[in-house]
Amino acid sequence: MPKAIEIDSFSYKYPDGTAALSEITLNIEHDQKVALIGPNGAGKSTLLLAIAGFVKGNGKVLIDGLEINRKNLKKIRTCLGCCLENPDDQLFMPTLFDDVAFGPLNMGLSAEQVKKRVADALETVGLAEMADKAPHHLSAGQKRAAAIATILSMKPKIITFDEPDGSLDPRNRNNLIKLLKDLPHTLIIATCNMNFAIALAERAVLLDKGRIIADGDAEKIMSDSQLMAEHGLEVPSKIRG
Amino acid sequence: MLKALRVLVCYFGTTYQMHHAYIDKYAYQDSPIHRLDSRVKFVVLLVFTAVVISLPRTSLSILACYAVGPFTILVLGRIQLRFALKQILLASPFVLILALSCPLYDKTAVTIAFGPFVWYSTVGWLRCFVILGKFTVTMLALIALISTTRFADLLTGLQWLGLPKVLVIQLGFLYRYIFVLIDRAQHILQARAGRRLRSLGFKRELKTAAAMLGSLLARSIDTAGHINIAMQARGFDGRWRSISRLQIRRADILFALIAASFMLGLYILIRPALQ
Repeated sequence: MPKAIEIDSFSYKYPDGTAALSEITLNIEHDQKVALIGPNGAGKSTLLLAIAGFVKGNGKVLIDGLEINRKNLKKIRTCLGCCLENPDDQLFMPTLFDDVAFGPLNMGLSAEQVKKRVADALETVGLAEMADKAPHHLSAGQKRAAAIATILSMKPKIITFDEPDGSLDPRNRNNLIKLLKDLPHTLIIATCNMNFAIALAERAVLLDKGRIIADGDAEKIMSDSQLMAEHGLEVPSKIRG
Repeated sequence: MLKALRVLVCYFGTTYQMHHAYIDKYAYQDSPIHRLDSRVKFVVLLVFTAVVISLPRTSLSILACYAVGPFTILVLGRIQLRFALKQILLASPFVLILALSCPLYDKTAVTIAFGPFVWYSTVGWLRCFVILGKFTVTMLALIALISTTRFADLLTGLQWLGLPKVLVIQLGFLYRYIFVLIDRAQHILQARAGRRLRSLGFKRELKTAAAMLGSLLARSIDTAGHINIAMQARGFDGRWRSISRLQIRRADILFALIAASFMLGLYILIRPALQ
């Protein structure tokens, strides 16, 4: 069985020549929950964009055994969903129903199948009653849940999240942790909130200045106070005690 | 220029608060009018507007009778009249200028009779009141449509009625992101207000306003890029697909018949005046 994600010596430079990602080699198995941790500007978002095929650099990126290229892109889009940092960018349709239906419709599903998928996805994130609401009428927590529903309705195997806990209050953050924990998908979560990362992931990949600094057991990496401090991060309160 | 930006922000959002007065804030209510098919409501509005606009300038009293139509819709749809009047007032400046210029160039004397009351005026003033009257009545009808129809349903209806898909998509994005843009403009204005301790003079204020607009534009372009990624990530290939959930029912046919009878009835009533 192919790995969920295989990245081999991937490098990417911004148009101005600044190295964003250097020699990234990373393998992620199916059903793993991986936290991509690192300070601001470490290259986490760029790496997620590279995984989704939106950033083209040197090196190989394989999603579920498929190399990212023009020919495979459509298949990759159905097996990998990406949740952007700002839910307002993710929710672009006039109603929540239309937004959640957007992906399944592009997959070529019938109207009945689409309606079922929308209902299921909204039920999973607890927004079943909100289908006809306009996104600008939702709260920050609801927007985040709605953005996740837009991905779930496509039933991907892998989902990437870019700073999903941003601008959420503790209650909404806990709800999000519970929701993501219950998802059976392969999750790659980019965050600089170590408490959020430790609550979700069994594996952590520490990224700084476009390079992988550490990769392994989440608790082991995040409990290394010296390593965390060196890269502008903190030991999660759960470990600090 | 800063004032212009502030007026624009205030046009869609009442104050510098985070909660805007949405133009469609009543569209999510439930009433017999809200449940009507958007296509039927739109076609009725179109015909109603055409009829009102084509009324002769001497028919001020008939115009008042036509106002009963949208007024009834607003009442049945439980839309506050104050909200409707506020919206009309916001859209009125341009029409006001046009209407108030009429008495200046047509001073032909005219006698106006309303029942037992008779008074003298000029054709210019008569035209001014007719323009304002037609504007108010058609705006009332438009507000009645927007306040009783969800924008998404209206878009689906417009697409069904033959509006090009590209235009429907553009309108959808405009509706979705105008509020995001207002939020951003509000934040920028708040950031400026927080650091503006004295008046800097017109030239500096103009420079600040240009920088603020530039920042808004740059962020909008950034957002557009992210939306493009979000769309492509969900398999968008340039073809817009949607599910129509519109359905014409008996209540829609009844509504169309009542609206047609109302407009036709009033037309028959004023026919002698038109000849």
